[in-house]
Amino acid sequence: MRVLLAEDDPLLGDGLRAGLRQLGFQVDWVRDGEAALRELRAQPYAAAVLDLGLPLKDGMDVLAQARQRGLTMPVLVLTARDAVPERIRGLDAGADDYVVKPVDLHELAARLRALVRRAHGQPHERLRAQGVVLDPAGRTVTLDGADVSLAGREFDLLHVLMLNPGRVLTRDQLEQHLYSWGREVDSNAVEVHVHHLRRKLGSALIRTVRGVGYMLARDASGGP
Amino acid sequence: MNEPPQSLQRRLVVLVAGLVAALWIGVAAFVWVKARHELDELHDGHLAQAAALLVTQHLREVEDDEPVNAPLLHRYAPRAAFQVWHEGRLALRSANAPDAPMVAAARTARDGFATVQIDGHAWRVFATRGAERDVQVFVGERVDARSAILRAMLGAMLQPLAVGLPLLALAAWWAVRRGLLPLRRLGDTLAQRRPDALQPVVLDDVPAEMAPMLAGLNGLLARIATLMEGERRFTADAAHELRTPIAAIRAQAQVALGADDDAERRHALEATLAGCDRATRLVEQLLTLSRLEAGSAPARREVDLAATARGVVAALAPQAVARDQDLGLEAAQPCPVQGDETLLEVLLRNLVDNALRYSPDGAVVQVRVERDGPGARLVVADAGPGLAEGDRRRLGERFFRVLGSGASGSGLGWSIVERIVAAHGGRVRSGRSAVLGGLEVTVDLPLSAGSARAA
Repeated sequence: MRVLLAEDDPLLGDGLRAGLRQLGFQVDWVRDGEAALRELRAQPYAAAVLDLGLPLKDGMDVLAQARQRGLTMPVLVLTARDAVPERIRGLDAGADDYVVKPVDLHELAARLRALVRRAHGQPHERLRAQGVVLDPAGRTVTLDGADVSLAGREFDLLHVLMLNPGRVLTRDQLEQHLYSWGREVDSNAVEVHVHHLRRKLGSALIRTVRGVGYMLARDASGGP
Repeated sequence: MNEPPQSLQRRLVVLVAGLVAALWIGVAAFVWVKARHELDELHDGHLAQAAALLVTQHLREVEDDEPVNAPLLHRYAPRAAFQVWHEGRLALRSANAPDAPMVAAARTARDGFATVQIDGHAWRVFATRGAERDVQVFVGERVDARSAILRAMLGAMLQPLAVGLPLLALAAWWAVRRGLLPLRRLGDTLAQRRPDALQPVVLDDVPAEMAPMLAGLNGLLARIATLMEGERRFTADAAHELRTPIAAIRAQAQVALGADDDAERRHALEATLAGCDRATRLVEQLLTLSRLEAGSAPARREVDLAATARGVVAALAPQAVARDQDLGLEAAQPCPVQGDETLLEVLLRNLVDNALRYSPDGAVVQVRVERDGPGARLVVADAGPGLAEGDRRRLGERFFRVLGSGASGSGLGWSIVERIVAAHGGRVRSGRSAVLGGLEVTVDLPLSAGSARAA
């Protein structure tokens, strides 16, 4: 899951990026408000962690302008200000969650996962499709109850597809979801990951839409 | 009435009643003196007239050998008496008159008044002789009769006072109580206030005399409110400001715990330590600020600003060398100022540290200490990016950080600098360095008195 981290404090930003990476996120770190807004518009982030006291453009302004431009990804506001009016202002400006520093990394990760899940209309913590169950928190996948071992990128790809069942995702979109900046992407990386996933989970799960991309068939049964 | 003994009310009532009583008694004394004089004149006139009457009357009527006793016809009659002597014989007298001449012969050589003792009473007697000098008439009046009249008059004046004074005191008490109502209302209003309610006191109908007091009180309340608001904001800001370093420490520690390889763990642990150092520096700055804000005047000793600057520059030199920065001091002569050496050190360290922090690697940072007329001048200039006009204005705001500079700082440094300079009676201003192009901070401090003369 690719998230944008907007935090101007060098030590905290470095710590959050490293911590969230350990917990399976792809993290892009920006240190000012202008860059945050620019990146939010440019990349399909699953979620954003936004510090309010940002240089150049206040976090609250970034949030308001992002919402104005129709960006709907969940935004978690991270701030040192815990006064109730501040929280209200943040939530009203379009924040989906409001976390006061200092925050536990695991909690931050859990909140991000919950935000992403809800943003995709998934009420359950675990994602299910055709006998495949994906646990974002534990980063585990089972097929008909049996554990399936997936590499990091494979898990991330499956996660994105399962978050968007019935939607065709292009190869570019999938690459953007999978890789934060500065990571070299092989031209056929997505195909390779899809190939591996099909081998491990069965070929029916991921459909190829020729010339466009891939999609996960909606679960016929609908429920878990 | 449970007023305290020294109440304003009591003082006013006592004052008013006392003044009225004194005035009244003064008036009574004046009337007494005046009335006694008039009474004496009037009565003496009556005595003289009665004597004249008796002289003429006797010439026509009294020829008897036996003295005639005239009856006492009025209750005041016993206090008045007369004698008519004819050729050495008592011809006519009032019933209460003695047999002997009322005034001894020696003193009756000529007409006039005399005060004599008759039967143990003092009498005022008018003596006169007829034209042929064979008739001697004495008309007398007991002196205490006059005193009785005066006493009665005085009584008539003072009795109402005896009755009126308590009434007056009561009326004054009521009037004063009414008059002091705004004062009591103010007291009640203040007593009912919560200790943290610092909005201005508003009373309807404030008398002019109380307006300055109320204005003073409200001014004081406003100042306290500002002070407390500042304190509250400072505490809140300080707490918030500590959250970020703590959040960083926590995040880095968790990263270290979850790290897979040694390099990552090592990096996170080093960052954790850096975070601790930063939090420590922030706490020290907060303590310095709070000590400065407590308003305790700095110790006043002679401090050589040049020597202090030398010490601080020497202490920070390794930090500059590590980043290849050219840190230099220019201090040709001693610059003695009155002040607290520790605080001046903090001032210098903040300015120099800030200049180093915000300047790029390899940049020049120049510190200059010089005498400037009656003052000492300290200039710290750097070759950093400087400050935009707007940022320079916001420097004084606590925790204002120059954003996007990449350096980590609390933004407390400038507040500390300003406060230390103010505590030493100096001035500080910031601008663009003409030589180095970066930020130039100039601090003017008064030279210590002795050396200013010598210079």
